[in-house]
Amino acid sequence: MNVRSILKGGAAAAVLALGLGSSPAFADNIVMWVNAALANGPDAPLYEELKAFQAATGHTVEVQAVPPIEMEQKLFVALSGGAGPDVMTLDIAWVAGLADAGLLADITEKAGPIASQYQPGPYSSGLFEQKQYALPLYTNNVALLVNDRMLADAGIQKAPATWQEFHDAAVAMTNKEKQTYGVSFGGNRMGAFQLYSFIWQNGGDIIDAEGKSHVADPASVEAVDFLAKLYTESKAMPDSVLTAGNWDEVHAPFVQERAGMVVTGDWALAAVAKANPDLKFSVHPLPAGKQAATVIGGFDLAIKANTSVPEASFELVKWLSGERSIALMRKYNRLSALKKAATPEAIAALPPNMQPFMQQAAAGRARPVVAAWTQMHTDVFANAWDSVIRGKPAKEAMAEADAAIKNLLEK
Amino acid sequence: MSARTVPPSGLKPTWSSIFETGLGARAYPYLMVLPAVVIVLGVVVYPVLSGIMTAFYDVTLRSLNSGDMDFVGLRNFERVFADPNFVRALQNTVVWVILNVVAQLGLGLALALLLHRAMPGIGFFRSGILVPWVVPSVVAVLTWRWMYDPSVGIVNELLVKLGVIDAYHPWLGDTATSLYAVTVESIWKGTPFVMLLLLAALQLVPKSILEAASMDGASRWKKLWYVILPQIRVSFAIAAVLTFILTVNNFNAIWLMTEGGPLNSSEILFTLAYKYGFKRFDLGLASAVATMLFVGLVVATTVYLKLIQAREED
Amino acid sequence: MTAAIFSHDSRSSAATGIAAHNRSKALRKILTYAALWIAFVWAVFPFYWMIATSLRAKDEIFQRPPSLVPHTVTIQNYIDLLVGAQFWRFAMNSLLLTASVTLVSVLISVTAGYAMARHRFKGSVVLPLFMLYGQMFPPVLLLIPFYAQLRLLGWLDSLWGLIPVYLSYMLPLCVWLMRGFFSQVPHSLEDAARMDGCTRWQAFWKVILPMAKPGIVAVATWVMIHSWNEFLYASTFILSEKNRTLPLGLSGLIGQYTTDWGVLMAGGVITALPILLVFFFLQKHLVSGVGGGAVKG
Repeated sequence: MNVRSILKGGAAAAVLALGLGSSPAFADNIVMWVNAALANGPDAPLYEELKAFQAATGHTVEVQAVPPIEMEQKLFVALSGGAGPDVMTLDIAWVAGLADAGLLADITEKAGPIASQYQPGPYSSGLFEQKQYALPLYTNNVALLVNDRMLADAGIQKAPATWQEFHDAAVAMTNKEKQTYGVSFGGNRMGAFQLYSFIWQNGGDIIDAEGKSHVADPASVEAVDFLAKLYTESKAMPDSVLTAGNWDEVHAPFVQERAGMVVTGDWALAAVAKANPDLKFSVHPLPAGKQAATVIGGFDLAIKANTSVPEASFELVKWLSGERSIALMRKYNRLSALKKAATPEAIAALPPNMQPFMQQAAAGRARPVVAAWTQMHTDVFANAWDSVIRGKPAKEAMAEADAAIKNLLEK
Repeated sequence: MSARTVPPSGLKPTWSSIFETGLGARAYPYLMVLPAVVIVLGVVVYPVLSGIMTAFYDVTLRSLNSGDMDFVGLRNFERVFADPNFVRALQNTVVWVILNVVAQLGLGLALALLLHRAMPGIGFFRSGILVPWVVPSVVAVLTWRWMYDPSVGIVNELLVKLGVIDAYHPWLGDTATSLYAVTVESIWKGTPFVMLLLLAALQLVPKSILEAASMDGASRWKKLWYVILPQIRVSFAIAAVLTFILTVNNFNAIWLMTEGGPLNSSEILFTLAYKYGFKRFDLGLASAVATMLFVGLVVATTVYLKLIQAREED
Repeated sequence: MTAAIFSHDSRSSAATGIAAHNRSKALRKILTYAALWIAFVWAVFPFYWMIATSLRAKDEIFQRPPSLVPHTVTIQNYIDLLVGAQFWRFAMNSLLLTASVTLVSVLISVTAGYAMARHRFKGSVVLPLFMLYGQMFPPVLLLIPFYAQLRLLGWLDSLWGLIPVYLSYMLPLCVWLMRGFFSQVPHSLEDAARMDGCTRWQAFWKVILPMAKPGIVAVATWVMIHSWNEFLYASTFILSEKNRTLPLGLSGLIGQYTTDWGVLMAGGVITALPILLVFFFLQKHLVSGVGGGAVKG
């Protein structure tokens, strides 16, 4: 064998090795940015799930855990710099802004066949201008937590189920000498978030499907007025309503047994139990006004618009949000957004404290999916709520909010 | 003071002796500043220029992605001026800056004078008084926010115990007090650095001058006013300028405590710019405000420094 | 206290005079210590509160009224923090980053600052001012241009990539400060050294530097603290878990909905402690023994 043939043989061997050793034609690497709460350690359930995905499809997933307070800004900077992940977990409120900027992939066609497996409320959170951009990973809504002892002490037998009962319970539990209040509410953005459910319950609306603003409608104004007067007239809310800017601050009076009720979501269960293990409380669906309604929150999965691995990315999204999401989300004490998760049997399988949240699922409504929503929420509504709890008449505040929203919608 | 160009005799030549004469002597100042200049040009100039340019274009999340960022001239500035929040933010910024600068300089000087002595345990006090500076800003602000809390705040508890107030007050939630409550935190955090600068400067005041003044029978106050202060004048000016810049650009304090609220009562220009940029995703507007801040800072400090220089010369 | 020459007759009045002087001196001493303690408590209390919260049991944190001293002291929060999270890794990253930035900053700013203070060369007046201007643009709005630059260079998600970014907003200030400190060092010192036969470099090293030590320590400490505690740029440019610094570790403790305040405060204490210790050791260098009286007049 001379040098030449060795070289030829070597080249052939190399090509063969490359051919055999190369990955199958459709095995891609997907970069995913995940809410750090879901990837909080090397043995987080998510990683096992991804291993299963990799085994089944051959695609590899590179996970980047991002803390919640950094996620929105990081996504914005990265995506507008042309970089960013292929798949991302998003708070449902962020979908509209990113979709409007053309940064999310349009998955309307791909999602069509599987659309019916999701609960309509959460599914609609990924719908922007008639196109689907995201699929729901988990969903939550707000319910009423009640301090059983304080309620009984105030002479009320059962938790409030209507607005009238809610009002009466709040007033009854307000006691100036004991320094107790009826209900703990949030200020600014927190209050606005809690507000939406009540607006819908009264038959009002924020922005309808055609894109018209209804915040100045009498029904909406009445709802805002009802809640605001609980503080300004009945003094049934502690002063923390003026400042509470995060859930911890909203829960604090409830945890301290200074407020008998609080409007919050399933995330409160663990936090309240840890902060005051002796507190005996129960969970109830929100009191219904003219109808039942509760605001939906949660996280969706979305795909970057110009991703190099669109097929693989969608497979990942489908995998994580599909059938397996019920078991997966349960491991995180969160609720899957599948219709199957809202059946009576599925609900019965949940821990007792979580059941009322899912029972309300049918009444869940997503906030308007419009591009300027972030601004409407943090500027317009937050300021409107802040001003009514400081005494501004609800009619005036909501009229101003209406004008501001119309302005933003026109852009 | 002329740079000597005559090589010293009698010393064995070291490598640095090429800088003693001729080309070496003339070139070496440039060489010494070269690294600094290179870094500043390379890493600072582009982003700052880019930031300023953005103010004149329509740059939003949408236009960044679609690629058509039109030149809009002064329209961003017009839109900013038309925003009622802008006026509020401007007023608040003025109050914010004046309170911070005056308080930090005054307290900083007082503390530096207090700590400029050799008493037993002075090291302990110095370290302690510098703690606010060392604590990470994010944690410091969150701790203060926790202390101000209307449900669990220790500030409220202490004030009630001391008899200053009757009941817990929502310091950050009351539109009348929100800005001042945050100002207390920023004074707490910023004063130690001023103290540090002035303390370092006090150490450089030659003892001989002080002794001479004492022998002339000068009282403590006269010594302070006529001897010490002029000696540390340069450092004082530096501290003033720095405090001014850091206060205007202090983002964490206001943002993490009140986010400029409630109802924009604690909004300063910087947080306004942030909201335009990262909540409304309108970078053009944000850059317009940032550019105005930048120009304001540049003008103010240049004027101030020229004044200081003029006085130094006489 | 001058040992005055007293005549015999005025011995008694001198004695009362001395006694009065002693009293007022003692009073001044008490007032000084009182002032020191007040300043100390004011400065340290929030840090104490941080420590107290971190040592509280989880069910005591929301208690009302809050107690100045925790009823039950527990180190559970620290255990949660140091065992579960990757704080050791974050600390190492912070250490590397801070050390590098400090070293480079001090080296460059000392040489540049000295040159600007001592020599009139083209631009020696304008340059320092120009440096300062670079400091003034709000950092938040430089995020996107910096991001684009780093991405171009491939330095995203790396600690080394952060170094030029940090230098960009620390270096101008350091140069400007060092120039100020060097301009306060009397020229006569240096000239005396040169007359004794030192080269410029030797004069600088042996005479000027020690005099400017307090200033150098002050600047180095400033850079150290700001690099160690910096959050905004680190959070935008660092992506993977293994490159995160301590402040990013802290932000990771702020939960999506609720926060474990005990653990967060523990994180704050752990983040602040190393710098505090370093500073405690450095602070004696802020006193210049050398040079205070070395120059006559």
